[in-house]
Amino acid sequence: MQRMKQRLELWLPVAVLAFFTFGFLVAPHDPEQVDAVRRFLPCSAEYPLGTDHLGRCVFSRLLYGGRTTLGIILLGSALIAAVGIALGLPIGSSRGKGKLALESLINAVTAVPPIAYLLIFISVMGNGVSTMLIAIVLSNFLRVVKLVKTRTEVELGKAYVLSAITSGAGKVHILFVDIVPNLLWDVLHYLLLSAADMVLTMVSFSFIGLGLGEDVIDWGVMVADLHRFIIIHPGLASYPVAAIVLCALAFHILGRRLEKVVRA
Amino acid sequence: MGRREVISYIGGKLLAALGTLLLVTLFSFLLMRLSPIDPAEAYVKRNSAMVTQEQIDAAREKLGLDQPLHRQYLRWLGKAVRLDWGTSLATGRSVAVELKNTLPTTLRVVTISAVITMGGVLLFGCLGAMSASGWLAKLLRLCAILGVSVPAFYLATAFLDFFAMKIGAISVVSNVGAGRYVPPALCLCVSGICFYGQMLADSLRDQRTQDHCVYAQCRGLGESRILLFHALPHALIDLMPSFAQMLGMSLANAAIVERVFSLSGLGYLMIDSVLARDAPVIHAVVLVLAGALVLLDAAAEVAQKLLRQKW
Repeated sequence: MQRMKQRLELWLPVAVLAFFTFGFLVAPHDPEQVDAVRRFLPCSAEYPLGTDHLGRCVFSRLLYGGRTTLGIILLGSALIAAVGIALGLPIGSSRGKGKLALESLINAVTAVPPIAYLLIFISVMGNGVSTMLIAIVLSNFLRVVKLVKTRTEVELGKAYVLSAITSGAGKVHILFVDIVPNLLWDVLHYLLLSAADMVLTMVSFSFIGLGLGEDVIDWGVMVADLHRFIIIHPGLASYPVAAIVLCALAFHILGRRLEKVVRA
Repeated sequence: MGRREVISYIGGKLLAALGTLLLVTLFSFLLMRLSPIDPAEAYVKRNSAMVTQEQIDAAREKLGLDQPLHRQYLRWLGKAVRLDWGTSLATGRSVAVELKNTLPTTLRVVTISAVITMGGVLLFGCLGAMSASGWLAKLLRLCAILGVSVPAFYLATAFLDFFAMKIGAISVVSNVGAGRYVPPALCLCVSGICFYGQMLADSLRDQRTQDHCVYAQCRGLGESRILLFHALPHALIDLMPSFAQMLGMSLANAAIVERVFSLSGLGYLMIDSVLARDAPVIHAVVLVLAGALVLLDAAAEVAQKLLRQKW
């Protein structure tokens, strides 16, 4: 029973995230297909969640919106992890005067939370998918660098590194083969928690019009669009909101689960 | 730690905060340079119907955009220190006036929300720590994880829908003095209460196993007294820096809620300036936001250090 619950806690969130990331592949309709005759259709076999004010399939739009939002998050997280580990390892293992300066620089920049940087990037560079991706990577990667740096310093003092050195392993080998597997979970834990925040932030920005551009389908824009019809069709706006909440919840649950692994 | 050491510690923190501010503003300047839209062109387009190359060049000279970037930055910095943040390209008013018009609204919303958050976190944390297991603990855990997953803008729209449509009370709620700041503050504080409440509960449980709490238990003190007078102060001190960071972040997050409630606060100004590519306003807002964050952070760390010594 306990094991069942644990498995469910792992695979249910993963399934939800996978569904919204790759679901667009099985979308029943073209999300942009406007059909003035079929406005505000109720749920049916052909339109699982009905149609919106332009006769577009809400379910298909939901799936394509998921591709946009989660695609940016997942791609961004992968980039953050790669850059963070690639930069954090050498900084963590280096010694010398340059290190102190670099450390204080990182500390200074990470004193401001990522959301503020995201705001700055979007304000300065305007909106668009690529801007959002760049902004997410740039506003988060230094935190991962800091995390990896600290963890590397801890790991370097452990016995298995000493044995690797005595058995003749080179510096690069020690860093990338021996140490990296030990800090992957920490990085993943950080990324999952920040991903939940990022989903909410991105959607909020696009809701108020600082979104991803005109012709991109995403959940924030969907909420804003459908919300205008709340009086006649009160349920319609709740679909994208439910998707947002489900995804944020999934990231949180996964992150919480990893916390036990990281702490142990 | 003597008085001199305290002063030098605070000085060091302030210096670090200042350095961060310089870095962040430099950042926004550099990024502005990379932006695809030319501010001089935007300025001319906004102010006259006909756009000629001469006008753009003249605007560039007038705005100082023909100078090298470091010169521009230093010039801006020199003026910013004297609270002269230039003129808004969109409205033609001085940025200082724009800030003066909008900042108080945001500060009110954030202050009210901070007060509610503090109360909520205390309640949530203590309840969570007292009920280690059982249905209440499960319910709280569920609330915590749901509360941080619901976007604030949805809470705001749902709030408006509910009161405007079901009760028709929004005109009453929205226009009465300080009352109009309460709904946005409520929407803003939910995620904070859930996140930090959970954190406080964890921290309290952690403290409860520490020696000083076990000693209090051996003295025969009651469980709730140990929790409130022995575990809570330490847990609160531990929580201070992240709470300060949350306050700073709710300044930024307020933008979204303000937009939904149509309150003309800092966030409104920021979004308008972004849409209008209003560089002077963007730089000023970035400076204010980053300044608030960095100062709050430094203040929390200093307070934490000083309080730790007392306890």
